[in-house]
Amino acid sequence: MHIEIDEISKAFGTTAALHPVSLSIPSGALVALLGPSGSGKTTLLRILGGLEFPSSGRVLFDGHDATGLSVQERRAGFVFQSYALFRHMTVFENIAYGLRARPRAVRPPKAEITRRVTKLLELIQLPDIGPRYPSQLSGGQRQRVALARALAIEPRMLLLDEPFGALDAKVRKELRSGLREIHDETGLTTIFVTHDQDEAMELADFVVVMSMGRIEQIGKPQDIRARPATEFVREFISG
Amino acid sequence: MSDTNLAPPRFRSAIEEPRPARWVLIAIVVLGLGVLLFAPLIAVFAEALSKGWGAAVASLGNRDARAAIRLTLTIAAISVPLNAAFGIAAAWFITKFDFRGKAFLITLIDLPFSVSPVVAGLCIVLMFGANSVLGGWLVASGYPIVFALPGIVLATVFVTFPFVARELIPIMIEQGRAEEEAALTLGASGARTFLTVTLPNIRWALLYGVLLCNARAMGEFGAVAVVSGKIRGQTASIPITIEMLYNEYLSVAAFSLAALLAMLGLVTLLLKTVLELRHADQIAATYHR
Amino acid sequence: MGRPLIHRSPMPGLGLSMGITLTMLSLVVLLPIGALLLKGASFGIGNIWDTVNRPRVWAALYLSFRLSLFAALFNLVFGVILAWVLVRYRFPGRRILDAAVDLPFALPTAVAGIALTALYAPNGAFGSLAKELGLKIAYTQWGIFIALIFVGLPFVTRTVQPVVEEIEREVEEVSATLGASRLYTIVRVIVPMLTPAALTGFALSLARAVGEYGSVIFIAGNIPLRTEIAPLLIVIQLEEFNYDAASAIGIAMLLISFAMLLAINLIQVWSRRRIGYV
Repeated sequence: MHIEIDEISKAFGTTAALHPVSLSIPSGALVALLGPSGSGKTTLLRILGGLEFPSSGRVLFDGHDATGLSVQERRAGFVFQSYALFRHMTVFENIAYGLRARPRAVRPPKAEITRRVTKLLELIQLPDIGPRYPSQLSGGQRQRVALARALAIEPRMLLLDEPFGALDAKVRKELRSGLREIHDETGLTTIFVTHDQDEAMELADFVVVMSMGRIEQIGKPQDIRARPATEFVREFISG
Repeated sequence: MSDTNLAPPRFRSAIEEPRPARWVLIAIVVLGLGVLLFAPLIAVFAEALSKGWGAAVASLGNRDARAAIRLTLTIAAISVPLNAAFGIAAAWFITKFDFRGKAFLITLIDLPFSVSPVVAGLCIVLMFGANSVLGGWLVASGYPIVFALPGIVLATVFVTFPFVARELIPIMIEQGRAEEEAALTLGASGARTFLTVTLPNIRWALLYGVLLCNARAMGEFGAVAVVSGKIRGQTASIPITIEMLYNEYLSVAAFSLAALLAMLGLVTLLLKTVLELRHADQIAATYHR
Repeated sequence: MGRPLIHRSPMPGLGLSMGITLTMLSLVVLLPIGALLLKGASFGIGNIWDTVNRPRVWAALYLSFRLSLFAALFNLVFGVILAWVLVRYRFPGRRILDAAVDLPFALPTAVAGIALTALYAPNGAFGSLAKELGLKIAYTQWGIFIALIFVGLPFVTRTVQPVVEEIEREVEEVSATLGASRLYTIVRVIVPMLTPAALTGFALSLARAVGEYGSVIFIAGNIPLRTEIAPLLIVIQLEEFNYDAASAIGIAMLLISFAMLLAINLIQVWSRRRIGYV
């Protein structure tokens, strides 16, 4: 799905988290929002997901105004840094949650839900952990379960907030390629937030560098490396 | 940009209930607490003042009422320090040493919370009453426990037993032993370490526990009713006197004493709220009875 | 096991603190409870059963337990709503309400008892309203029910409140992003998270209600077989110097208390094992 961000701004009280920013994300792209904390990248992601409402501006999905769509209506698969797994539910129940939460008329039958969850467990290469509780999983396993849960609702896009932030360096490397594979397989427009430039450069098709609520530069990783547009970008990617 | 964006569409937070639902819930809570808690509180003062201030104050000056007030103050003056001393000792023992059966000891300390006050009183009557071996000997020696002050104090200590200890234990676990160990390595004596290092760290939690203990000690009814024998002017504490006056249809007198205890309760709540606001970090977030 | 009973420690005051703790615990709590159990043992299980197995005693135990259960259930539902509103919503007077939740702990039971009676008696503020509707509250089981709600009110709220404060915002947000309505999130995500704490509060509230005496006897009317609670029966037996019968009923109540204490601990073990940490 093509995502168009049109002059979006966001203020919390009197402090501006986002100055009007515009951004066009082609369908099927894997995009990194890169910047230090407080750069507005997470706010932008949350606005796309419908968790935050912009102070001004519009969001367009495939050319249609989606600004007023509620979280539920957006069908954005959202993965939080903390994963936010439901700890009183098994992995299976976690992944099935979005399907079971649908109104009766559009809810898939039980067998279909089981089939889809099983398929997703295979996709994240953890076919046997369905009956376990989140507290019995490793950090990397939790992250993949959170991803599978987001994919279960057949989202129109995938939004990930620091998806590798809570993992140690080794697991982080493994899961990076895992995300790339899942992206390539599903073809979903995927946006992830990170403060780690290596992660952004290695994984993303496009990198959006942000600072102080503004977009500093948009470009392919090698272009940003070769030609930093501003002093901030130069310092941030060399640091 | 089109004009529609000047007035952004209504946005519903993902983690809030719709506004009408919030109003309904707030209304339920306000109404519920109003009927269940505030109405009885108001009723106490309204009944006490139903014949005017003069009648209420005069009934407090009555000889039996004065004796009851004196007795209740005596009970609190003995049982609260006893419980404070026990609470400090128990918290010190439990948090500064490692021993087997610690969890079981904590359960035993909490036990009085789960026992009906009437059963507590019954236990003390059976132990120290005139028809038990120990009680018979004590009565013969001229030291009766039951139907006298010692029994009332014992019953009061029983029902308030865990109050101070369970305030102190969590806070002392959290603070660890490092500061005391440092003081000891610097050559401080045990007593000095406790007074200059431990006590300042736990003083608000201690005060909090003492407050709750005191409120319960002054207001205890069931256990005291059983052990006191309800002798007017001698073993009738304020709550017992309230019952006697009420049963004699001396409503204003009963409610005047009740208002006195209610004010004690309100002051306790006020101090508790102030302590929680100002020293939240030093007060364990546990429930109380 | 080679584990020492008490580990050696450089901390001072072992003898003193252990001495005070164990002496007071024994003298104040363990010996008196032991005296009750000893009395029961000498009275004999057969005799205890014969004492308890009388219509008046059964009626009192059944009444105490049944009304305590209803009151605790009321407090379970109301207490969870109260905890939710106090933590999540901002409205004028919230702090006062929050402080007032502890009122049943601070107000002596006898005071609560006569105050509730004054309110709900046929000539009282609420009682006269009920009378116009043809209802009688004071001196009926309804009165006992209300008094038991009063004494048990804070438990559920005070156990649930910290849990509500700890719910991560992301967990609720993720539920919404997965398409769940707010109601579905509450039923499937929030309520299950609050359940262990709510059950603990429920059990505490129930235990308190079963043993309650002071706030109930004024409003109960104390009619044998109808509005006579179990603790009152003990008091009546004691006033007649019938120590055996009082002990028998006391032991029955003690067993109920222990069972509930056990239940509370099992709930906590169960929830810790099931939910753990994420």
